[in-house]
Amino acid sequence: MKASIKVALAGNPNSGKTTIFNSLTGARQHVGNYPGVTVEKKEGTCRHGDVQIQVVDLPGTYSLSAYSIEELVARDFIVEEKPDVVVDIIDASNLERNLYLAVQIMELGVPLVLAFNMSDTAKARGYEFDLETLSELLSAPIVTTVGNKGEGITELLDAIVSAAAKQDTWQSAKIVYGKEVEEELAKLAPLVARETAAAEKYGLRWLTVKLLENDQSLLEMVSSPELLAAVEASSKHLQGIFGDPPEIVITDRRYGFISGACTETVRSTVEARHTMSDKIDTVVTNRLLGLPIFFAMMYLVFQLTFTIGDPFMGWIEQIFGWLGGIIEGFWPAGSESALKSLLVDGIIGGVGGVIVFLPNILLLFMAIAILEDSGYMARAAFIMDHLMHKIGLHGKSFIPLVIGFGCTIPAIMATRTLESRRDRLTTMLVAPLMSCGARLPIYALIIPAFFPQQWHAPMLWIIYLIGIILAIVCAKLLRATLFKGESTPFVMELPPYRVPTLRGIVIHMWDRGWMYLKKAGTIILGISILLWAMTTYPKKEVFARDYPAEIAQLQAAYPKDTGVKNAEALQAKIMNLQQAQRAEELTYSIAGRIGHGLEPLLKPMGFDWRVGTALIGAFAAKEVFVAQMGIVFSVGEADAESEVLRDRLRENYTPLAAFCIMIFCLISTPCMATIAVTRRESNSWGWALFQLGGLTALAYVLTVFVYQAGSLLSIGTG
Amino acid sequence: MSKTLSASLEDYLEAIFHISAQKQAARPKDISKRLKVNNSSVTGALKLLAGKGLVNYAPYEIVTLTGKGKTLAEDIVRRHETLRDFFEKVLAVSHEDAEEAACKMEHVVSREVLENLIQFTEFVETCPRGGSKWVSGFRYHCDAGGEHADCEQCITLCLEDFKQANAGDKTGEAVSLHELNPGQKGKVIKLRAKGEARKRIAEMGLTRGALVEVERVAPLGDPLEVKVKGYHLSLRKEEADTIDVERI
Ligand SMILES: Nc1nc2c(ncn2[C@@H]2O[C@H](COP(=O)(O)OP(=O)(O)O)[C@@H](O)[C@H]2O)c(=O)[nH]1
Repeated sequence: MKASIKVALAGNPNSGKTTIFNSLTGARQHVGNYPGVTVEKKEGTCRHGDVQIQVVDLPGTYSLSAYSIEELVARDFIVEEKPDVVVDIIDASNLERNLYLAVQIMELGVPLVLAFNMSDTAKARGYEFDLETLSELLSAPIVTTVGNKGEGITELLDAIVSAAAKQDTWQSAKIVYGKEVEEELAKLAPLVARETAAAEKYGLRWLTVKLLENDQSLLEMVSSPELLAAVEASSKHLQGIFGDPPEIVITDRRYGFISGACTETVRSTVEARHTMSDKIDTVVTNRLLGLPIFFAMMYLVFQLTFTIGDPFMGWIEQIFGWLGGIIEGFWPAGSESALKSLLVDGIIGGVGGVIVFLPNILLLFMAIAILEDSGYMARAAFIMDHLMHKIGLHGKSFIPLVIGFGCTIPAIMATRTLESRRDRLTTMLVAPLMSCGARLPIYALIIPAFFPQQWHAPMLWIIYLIGIILAIVCAKLLRATLFKGESTPFVMELPPYRVPTLRGIVIHMWDRGWMYLKKAGTIILGISILLWAMTTYPKKEVFARDYPAEIAQLQAAYPKDTGVKNAEALQAKIMNLQQAQRAEELTYSIAGRIGHGLEPLLKPMGFDWRVGTALIGAFAAKEVFVAQMGIVFSVGEADAESEVLRDRLRENYTPLAAFCIMIFCLISTPCMATIAVTRRESNSWGWALFQLGGLTALAYVLTVFVYQAGSLLSIGTG
Repeated sequence: MSKTLSASLEDYLEAIFHISAQKQAARPKDISKRLKVNNSSVTGALKLLAGKGLVNYAPYEIVTLTGKGKTLAEDIVRRHETLRDFFEKVLAVSHEDAEEAACKMEHVVSREVLENLIQFTEFVETCPRGGSKWVSGFRYHCDAGGEHADCEQCITLCLEDFKQANAGDKTGEAVSLHELNPGQKGKVIKLRAKGEARKRIAEMGLTRGALVEVERVAPLGDPLEVKVKGYHLSLRKEEADTIDVERI
């Protein structure tokens, strides 16, 4: 027996595959990607007796036809990597459909172990299985498990190890497709064996069946026109007999085989017509209550994310401020050390800027994990599909777009749930228009500075609304031009409601949080340091005025005993001078020069070079804009609540220009991390740059329009 | 309203209504011909009606109904027809006798009696315990006298007929899945979608012969939720449209 075996976990979505994977591997797992595609690959290891087992979690699929990337990846993994054993996690309470995948794995001829998971639910629904006979009919060992309680895991490992030991003599059950189909298969098989190189790898029968099933990805591999013609002829022949193309006939037969096996071995003792899940659904997807409940849920998710997240954000900011203070203490006061500046302003500021969003991200993903594991997510897609379909998207697009209000990065990552590339790309490209949490500080800074109290909330709504409307328009436009074509069928399972487990939620949060730190965090940190350098260098040596001398003069002119009031006035004057010096330094720096250079372009939008400089920062990460404005206006440490900064803004900009800044920040230049993630998820720099260019152009055109129209009509110019 | 008009005046109004329906406007000559009365009576009646603002009338001119007159005339005609139908269809009276009786009774029947009569006629026609057979049973009773057939058998037959009528034209009817209402079931006959979509639908278990039940429609009216092979699946109406099922 081998000392080390490789096991692949397959299964339908919602069969409890992740739960079983976690039970098997515990913390010894890591997440990667399948080569060349953006499907997540989870791997882990475990020991059973003296056998080392490597477990690979295949993507959850309903079938192994090449319908989606996930199916292709799962299939290719089994075929190319030849795992010693494939474990199919089956939701025993939904046996027939789950066996459809099992049957296809079976046809691949690999050693297969069936885990009848959710056996508790199956029992509660009154199903009784004759596992011995079923196991014989399917020629695969069956183990019952209850994933969330960890029951049956040891037995599953036993079965895996003994199946691996038998792999050389493994005999899979064979499905007979009926006389007519079998005749065609027999006709094609020799041709397939002769004309394709892949027959050995895939297994002759499997490959022949798949070709007859009109499997595009495999047909593309076939170069022989003779074989293609023969497949075509067989297909026509069968279509003539059955009135349906062979792929439908074959699917019918597979289900026929399954239902034959099930009638023999499954008994339903109670007629459970209305399960708890059905009862919940009559309320949750109710005609009248469905939408209100949905919106309430979304509201709750946001309350959870932001209300609970905010204090944590405050603490994190304090901790980093305190840390910065300590490090600053190592240098004498007023030191101009470049290292100090790099450490305090560049690195600590940058790391802080990354970590500060962690509470929000973790809470958001906790909410999403709860919604997903409980089964509500599918209902959300069900409820919203009609609307989303109208703008050319899929019900499932709604979820990434909603997440987009939190942060665009996870939103783009969430587009993975979409099956069609067109839907996926459209959603990905418009997702940045959902105003993310990082843009909130910008609005939070600007709105109170320029608009009266009663206008604060409506203003915020208007900004968000503009984003939503633009997203709709852009999605429609994309679907009408670049992504023309049929929308994918909305055949989506509505899984039964379940109580989510704490463990599942924590793992989900951890995964996403870590991904954020690693992927987005590193970029934000890198750019923060770069930005620090851009705003600091080159250092100005010769100033227009001799600031130190002027300060000394001022101090000399005020005798020490002239009272508190005069001392304050003195301080203010000194501050003015220092800020003027800082501003001069910034103008001289790279960022300042770029900002100045862009000014002719920015003028039509009502922006000056300072906004331009801050926008360079916003490209790194939206929230940097606020801090950058603080630096540009030399008000020191600035956050969204800084009154000093607000005063400065009021002095320098009109409400119209301020509104334009918000619109521009809303639409333009998704942050660096967004571009990086889009590049990763779309697997092409082309789409990432298209997103960057397209949105920036849109923002520019729109903002210029608003500013010019506003100026012309004298709205908000006073 | 009708109480202020005498029976004969109502007859005049009705006549004018029918004549105008045929020829746009009525001449006194037509009226006298239709009601079999002499010209002077017509002139008198028309003067009275004109005085009540129900017709437009001047000597030697054609007669038309005013708006008010028309409403009143329509009401009278309706009463007439209802009564006639009741006599003819329910009470199995001959057409001529029904007409004559209706002519006489229409002036004295109150609105409430009339409404209930209409309801009753409808009820007899649609209630499974009534219906055309029951009415013909009554006709037979009139013709043959008080002989009663086997009541129990009659009721059983009636019940079977009812079951068949209700299910007969529905089961086995081939419709698209989209046409089933929530709670209705069907058996898949054929998938008419094309390519990938069809394969997907089949792979999710909607194969030929599979039982599907429409569970509900989404709040916004589009995707449907169906139950197939013991689990819940959502489908857009446009996809459901491509799935032919046989009603069960
Ligand atoms: N009742 C029951 N629930 C389970 C079982 N296994 C997993 N679950 C729950 O089913 C839900 C979905 O599981 P998950 O592993 O995320 O499914 P996946 O989509 O296949 O990865 C989670 O809420 C689990 O806690 C089981 O055997 N019985």
